[in-house]
Amino acid sequence: MSWRNELLAVWAVTLRNALMGARNVFFFFELLFWPVVGVLSIGLMSRFLELTPAQASFVLVGTIALSVINVCQLEVAYAVLLDVWSKSLKHQFLAPIGIRHLTLGSWVVGMVRSSVVFLLLAALGWWAFDFEVLRPGWLALATFLLGCFLTAWVVGVAVCALITLFGNRAEAFAWATVNLVLVLAGIYYPVSVLPGWIAAIARAIPLTYFLDAYRSYYGFPSEFAAPVATGLALSVLYGALAHWAFLAAIQRARRTGLLLKMSE
Amino acid sequence: MLAIDARDVEKTFRSGWFGRRETPALRGVSLTVERGSIVGVLGPNGAGKTTLLSILATLLTPDRGRVLVLGHDVVREAGALRRRLNMASGRPSFLWSLRVGEIIAFYGRLYGLSGARLRRRVDTLIELCELGSYRRVPYSDLSTGLKQRVALAKSLVNDPELLFLDEPTLGLDPDVSVRVREHIARLRREQGITIVLTTHYMREADELCDEIAFIKAGRILSRGTPGELKRQIRLGEVIALRLDPPAVTWLAEAPGVLRCVEADGWVECTVDEAEKRLPELLRALHNDGVVIRNVQVREPELEEVFVELAK
Repeated sequence: MSWRNELLAVWAVTLRNALMGARNVFFFFELLFWPVVGVLSIGLMSRFLELTPAQASFVLVGTIALSVINVCQLEVAYAVLLDVWSKSLKHQFLAPIGIRHLTLGSWVVGMVRSSVVFLLLAALGWWAFDFEVLRPGWLALATFLLGCFLTAWVVGVAVCALITLFGNRAEAFAWATVNLVLVLAGIYYPVSVLPGWIAAIARAIPLTYFLDAYRSYYGFPSEFAAPVATGLALSVLYGALAHWAFLAAIQRARRTGLLLKMSE
Repeated sequence: MLAIDARDVEKTFRSGWFGRRETPALRGVSLTVERGSIVGVLGPNGAGKTTLLSILATLLTPDRGRVLVLGHDVVREAGALRRRLNMASGRPSFLWSLRVGEIIAFYGRLYGLSGARLRRRVDTLIELCELGSYRRVPYSDLSTGLKQRVALAKSLVNDPELLFLDEPTLGLDPDVSVRVREHIARLRREQGITIVLTTHYMREADELCDEIAFIKAGRILSRGTPGELKRQIRLGEVIALRLDPPAVTWLAEAPGVLRCVEADGWVECTVDEAEKRLPELLRALHNDGVVIRNVQVREPELEEVFVELAK
């Protein structure tokens, strides 16, 4: 396949997801309602508990990361979910499309949508709770967002693999998986407070390192050496594994007939 | 030159814990299809028609056997093959909130079309499938017939060399079915597309197909042109007579007559060979003083072949 065709296939998926998103009222809730509710409730709780500005920033970073990753990973999962819901999966895989086109195209839309969420929440956090999202600087912020997007991509592709492996009944993974990852990655707390074996799992999650690196600019010393490099390396490793798992799941679905069953 | 060369294809679906429940879908199917022909795959429900089409279209992988489609192995060279074929099914389903034009354009981009070429292709297909008034209508708002037409338009977006049509007129109004059939015939005539279709409508198969493969319980039981199939089954030909007096008792015993039934004032005699038996019967009736008011000779319907084979 030529580069032109590669980009065209990715663009086709990007455009498709963007059009579907723009026409679904529920996407509004995903994009605005729940993220805003999340920041407001956590921000108000931090005020009630009289947290220091640094501590409030710590938990708000977690809340914003949660919303950004949630929106982005769900969009990646839509690469398969949209076709599962409309029973058009077989048409999708009858065409010369690879999973790289599907996941990349969806990821692009996910990044745009979650960037909008991020801007909105950052503005809300600054206005309501004096949270300075830019205090760590542009580079640190960009790295943090990249970490969130990569985590979302890995989780989203893994969810696609699970849905393709287990069929419609695995839809719940789309919403559940990311929350489990976020809890383990220390979304509202440093991973050092976790029990030993859970902390070991947390150290295997890339987001743990991106959160750690970003929070270090708010007065919480980093718990890891070279957290950004570790986070990126783990993201690449898991990204490759998730991609392979999705590919294997598609091949299995072609073998078992699940691809057709999900289109009936 | 062959568009499809499938040999000893086997497929078993496994379900339940550890795949212990096995449902054989294809048991050694072999099928060859000449380029530029229309071949019908007929058979009762659960016979394996859709499984066979899905394997040929790379949506399913066979357990055993060798399948070459347009010269490509369906398992090892599926990627290259997908650019050259397409499929439309009788129960189409696309992303519900995309509009007709957007659906065709989405698939067009997947096949490498963009810019003015893509716009021209979408316009052509919309015109061809009479979807002009529905271009901006979301898929979920379309009737069954219109959805079928969208499926057909989508299946032509890449100018396929080989087209699979899985029950293309299922649930359509008769007038729309006629137009779809005309369109299928035109595709082959004008563009030389090889078409493999499944259908439950025997008239459709009789009208469209150069050849028919009859499949049952995962095996191809019979294969040939519609005429050959009718002869293979030895259903005979029917001589329908309107007589005065209307009933003649000895007709059923006449040489070459397999059976006789009376219906609506007609006596229908199934004979082994109409060309030979018709003069004999007419002569015998005349000699018996019977007045012959009308005579018709017809081949058995493909539906009768289907019923016979499906037994």
